[in-house]
Amino acid sequence: MFFFIVELLFYTWCRVQNVRIGYEITQALAQHQQLVTMHNNLKIETARLKSPERISKIAREQLGLTTPSPGQVIVLP
Amino acid sequence: MKTRFNQKIKLRMLLVGLAFFLVMAGIGAKAVYLQVFCGQWLSQKAADQYEKSQVTFGKRGTIYDTHQQPMAVTIETASVAAYPARIKNAKATAKALAAALKLKHRSVARKLSSTKSFVWIKRQVTPKEVAAVSRLELEGIDFIPAHSRYYPQKTMAAQLIGFAGIDGRGLEGLEFYYDQELVGPIRHSKVLKDAFGRGFASSHTAAPHLAGHNLILTVDLTIQYITEKALEEAIKTSQARSGMAVVMNPATGAVLALAHYPFFNPNNFTAHQRADWRNRAVTDPFEPGSTMKIFSMAAALESGKATANTIFFCENGRYTIGRNTIHDTSPRGWLSLQQIIKYSSNIGAVKVSELIGPEVLFNTLGYFGFGRETQIDCPGETVGSLAPFKHWSKIDAGAIAFGQGLSASALQLATGASAIANDGILMRPFVVRAITDRNGRIVKTFKSQQRQRVITPETAHTLRRIMMTVITDGGTGTEAALEEYTVCGKTGTAQKINQQGTYAEDKYIASFIGFAPAERPELTILVVIDEPAQGHYGGIVAAPAFRKIARETLNYLKVPPTVKRDRLTASHGDEVLG
Repeated sequence: MFFFIVELLFYTWCRVQNVRIGYEITQALAQHQQLVTMHNNLKIETARLKSPERISKIAREQLGLTTPSPGQVIVLP
Repeated sequence: MKTRFNQKIKLRMLLVGLAFFLVMAGIGAKAVYLQVFCGQWLSQKAADQYEKSQVTFGKRGTIYDTHQQPMAVTIETASVAAYPARIKNAKATAKALAAALKLKHRSVARKLSSTKSFVWIKRQVTPKEVAAVSRLELEGIDFIPAHSRYYPQKTMAAQLIGFAGIDGRGLEGLEFYYDQELVGPIRHSKVLKDAFGRGFASSHTAAPHLAGHNLILTVDLTIQYITEKALEEAIKTSQARSGMAVVMNPATGAVLALAHYPFFNPNNFTAHQRADWRNRAVTDPFEPGSTMKIFSMAAALESGKATANTIFFCENGRYTIGRNTIHDTSPRGWLSLQQIIKYSSNIGAVKVSELIGPEVLFNTLGYFGFGRETQIDCPGETVGSLAPFKHWSKIDAGAIAFGQGLSASALQLATGASAIANDGILMRPFVVRAITDRNGRIVKTFKSQQRQRVITPETAHTLRRIMMTVITDGGTGTEAALEEYTVCGKTGTAQKINQQGTYAEDKYIASFIGFAPAERPELTILVVIDEPAQGHYGGIVAAPAFRKIARETLNYLKVPPTVKRDRLTASHGDEVLG
C-alpha cells in the first residue's frame, strides 16, 4: 500500500513537472521569436545605415570627401 | 405448495437474468458501435478539446545585392481582424477602432455589422496602431500575426526588384519572376492548448525556421547608386521625360546596375503610376538610332567586303533613295568606315548597307541578339522588332543600318555591345547569381553562359579601335572621354514616332553606349534619355552621364588607370632627390 501511494505521488509530481516545463518551453519559444524579430529589425536598421545614399551624403557633406581626380590616383609599379 | 414457490423464484430469476442479459447485450452493442463505428469521430471530438490547428505562414526569402546587402526583406507585423458575432456594441467599437487605426468610421461600422464570422479591419498595421488598439481592450477584436515586405533601399533598383502584394506573392519584377523560390512554405500543425486556449508545449510556433529561399543578385548597390545619381542628374539637366541606364560586365553578362527614372518606392507602390513600375530596360523596345551603326559596321567588317579604311562617298549630306531623302547633321564627302562611325554619318551607314546587302546585315544583327530574347531572368522581356530581310524595301535596309526602322530594348543593345567588348562572344545577361536557403547555404548558382560567337576577335578589335575614335577630338562622343581610362563608345540620337505614325520633329531618344577600359573592358554602360528638352544629341545629353558612371565605377572597382601618366617611382640609393 505504501509503495502504491509513493508511486502515485511520484506520478503526480512527474505530471506537474511536465506541465510546468511545457509552459516554460512555450515561453522560451515566444522569447526566441521576439529576439529573432528584434534581430531582423536590427539587420534592417544596419542596411538602412549602410545604404550608399546615406554614406555618400555623410562623406560629401560632413567629411568633405570626393571621388579622387585623375591626378590623385597614383599607381605604384 | 413449495414446488410452486420454487417455480416462481426460478421464473423471477430467469426474468431478472434475461433483463440483465438484455441490458448487458445493449451496453456491449453500444460499446462495439462507439468503438468500431464512431471511434474515429469521437477521438477527433476529444482531441478538438485539447488540440488546436495552427497554420504557420513561412517568411518570404530575402533579396540581397552581390555583397549580401538586403534589398527586399520580410518583417513581422500584425493585422487587425474582428469576429462580428462576438461584438456587443458595434457602433462604439467601430468609432473607437476607426480613430485608433485612422480609418473611415462608416467603413469600419459596415464591416462590424457584417453577417460573416470573420472580417479584416486593417491589414499589416504599424506597432503604434497595435498598441493603440490593445489599449482599447475591445471584445471580438483580434490581432493576426502577419508578414510584410519591406524594401530598405527604397527606390534603388525598384523596377528590377519589383514588389510583393499584401498576401506575400510577387507581383512585379524579380519578386514575380522568382516567386516560387522566394515564397515561404505554409505548415499546418496541431498544438496542445490549455483550459484558456493558450498554446502549450508547441514545437512548431517558431515561424522564422520556416522561410523561402533567398536571392543573391549580380547587382552591386554602390554601382546602382552611382548609376541612378548620374541618370537623375542627366535627366534633370536636359529636362527629359524619363531615362534608363544599364551597367554590365561584358565578360560574364552579369548586370551590375539597372536604373530607371522616374524612380518609384516599392514600399508604397500604389502611390505611383503603373508605368513607373515597369522594368523598361527589359520590356520596352525603342528605335535605337545611331548606336546601331556599330553593329552594321561589324557586319561589313565580318563579311570581308570592307575594312576600317574602305572609303564611301557621303553625298555631301543629302542622299535620296526612291522618294526618301536621308540627311547627315554635317555634310561630308568621302569618309572611311572608321570616320562614318566617328562622325556618325547616316549616309555612310546606308552606303555600307548597300555594299554588304540586306541578308548579311540581317544575319549579323540576328547574331548580336536583335529580334530575339536575351534570355535574361526578368519577366516580360521584349524581343523588339526586326522584320525578315526579304520584306525590307531599299529604304528599310538603309534606315536599319543607322538604327531606324527596327526596335530593340536597352538590354539588347547593352548585350550586343558587350559582345564587341568580349572579343566577339555574346553572353546571356543575368541578374541572379545564386539562390540560398534560410541559413545562407547555396541551393543553386547561376554562372555566366556563352550564347554564341557573333564576330571574330579580329573584327571585335577593329571595332573597338574604331569606337575609340568617337571619343577623340571631332568625334560625336567627346563628352564621354575619361582622363585616366581609354573609352570605346557610340552616340545615338533617334527621332521618336508620334501618334500619326510619322517621325516627330521635336521628340528624340538620346543615347550613348560604350565600354571601358578599351584594352580590357570591365564595364559596358548604356545611357538612354527619353525626350530631352535641353539639347537632344546623345553626345550632349547621355555621354556626360556615361562618363560619370564609368569614372566612379572604375574607381570603385579599383581598376588601374590605363592612360599612361607620370608614375611615382621609388629607388634605393644614397641620395635623396627632391
